[in-house]
Amino acid sequence: MSALRLLSSTSRRVPSAFLQQKRGYAEAAGKLNLSLVLPHQAIFTSADVVQVNISAATGDMGILANHVPSIEPLRPGVVEVIDSNNTSKKWFVSSGFANVHPGNKLTINVVEAAPLDSFSPEAVRTNLQEALKVAAGNGSEEDKMEARIEADVYEALQHALGSK
Amino acid sequence: MSSATWRNFFTYNKYAQITARAVRQSLKETERVAAEKRGVTALRYQKWENGVGGTQVYLNPDADKGLGKPAV
Repeated sequence: MSALRLLSSTSRRVPSAFLQQKRGYAEAAGKLNLSLVLPHQAIFTSADVVQVNISAATGDMGILANHVPSIEPLRPGVVEVIDSNNTSKKWFVSSGFANVHPGNKLTINVVEAAPLDSFSPEAVRTNLQEALKVAAGNGSEEDKMEARIEADVYEALQHALGSK
Repeated sequence: MSSATWRNFFTYNKYAQITARAVRQSLKETERVAAEKRGVTALRYQKWENGVGGTQVYLNPDADKGLGKPAV
C-alpha cells in the first residue's frame, strides 16, 4: 500500500516542467489574492497574482483564481508565484499550510522560506551526507527519523536548486 | 519515503521545527547567521502564590542566560 502511494507521489512530482506553465484559459479568470507569510516576515500581503504553484503533501499543485476552498499541508519544497507580468519568483519553504479561503484568497503560512539563490549547494550536499549517515546509523528511532526528515528536506533542496 | 511515518514519533510542531532547522542550515553563510538566531528559543518561568511572584527561573540556565533581552 505504501509502495503504491510512493509511486503516485513521485509520479506527481516529476512533471514539474508541465506545472511551471501558465494555463491558457486562466487569462480570463482574474487574479488571486495571495498572502505568503512567515513568523518573522511577510513576503506577500494581499498581493494580486495569477498563479501559485505549491508542493502539497498530496502532490504538486497550481492554484489559480477562484479555487475551491481547501487546506493543504505543504512538503518542504518550492512555492512559485506567477504574477500578471508573467514573471515567476520561487521560494523554498520548509513546511506549513496553504489555505484557499472562500472569496478567492490564498494564504500560505510557512515557518522558513528563502529565495532559491540564498542557498548554498555545498552546504546542502554536506548536510545531506551527514543526515543520511545518521539515518542509517544505530541511534535511537527518534534520532533516525529526525535525520530522515532532514535528509528529505535536503534532497528537495537539491532538486529545487538543480532544476532551477 | 520512510519519513512519511514521522507521525509515530513527533508532533507536527516538532516536524515543522526540524524542517525549518534544516532549511536554515542550508542557507549561504551571509544569511545563515541571522537565520540561526530565529531558531533559538529560551524559556523563563515564575511561580505565583497568594498574589506574589516567586523568582524567575530559566529553563536552561547555561544556554538561556546570555540570549537577547527578556521582555520583562
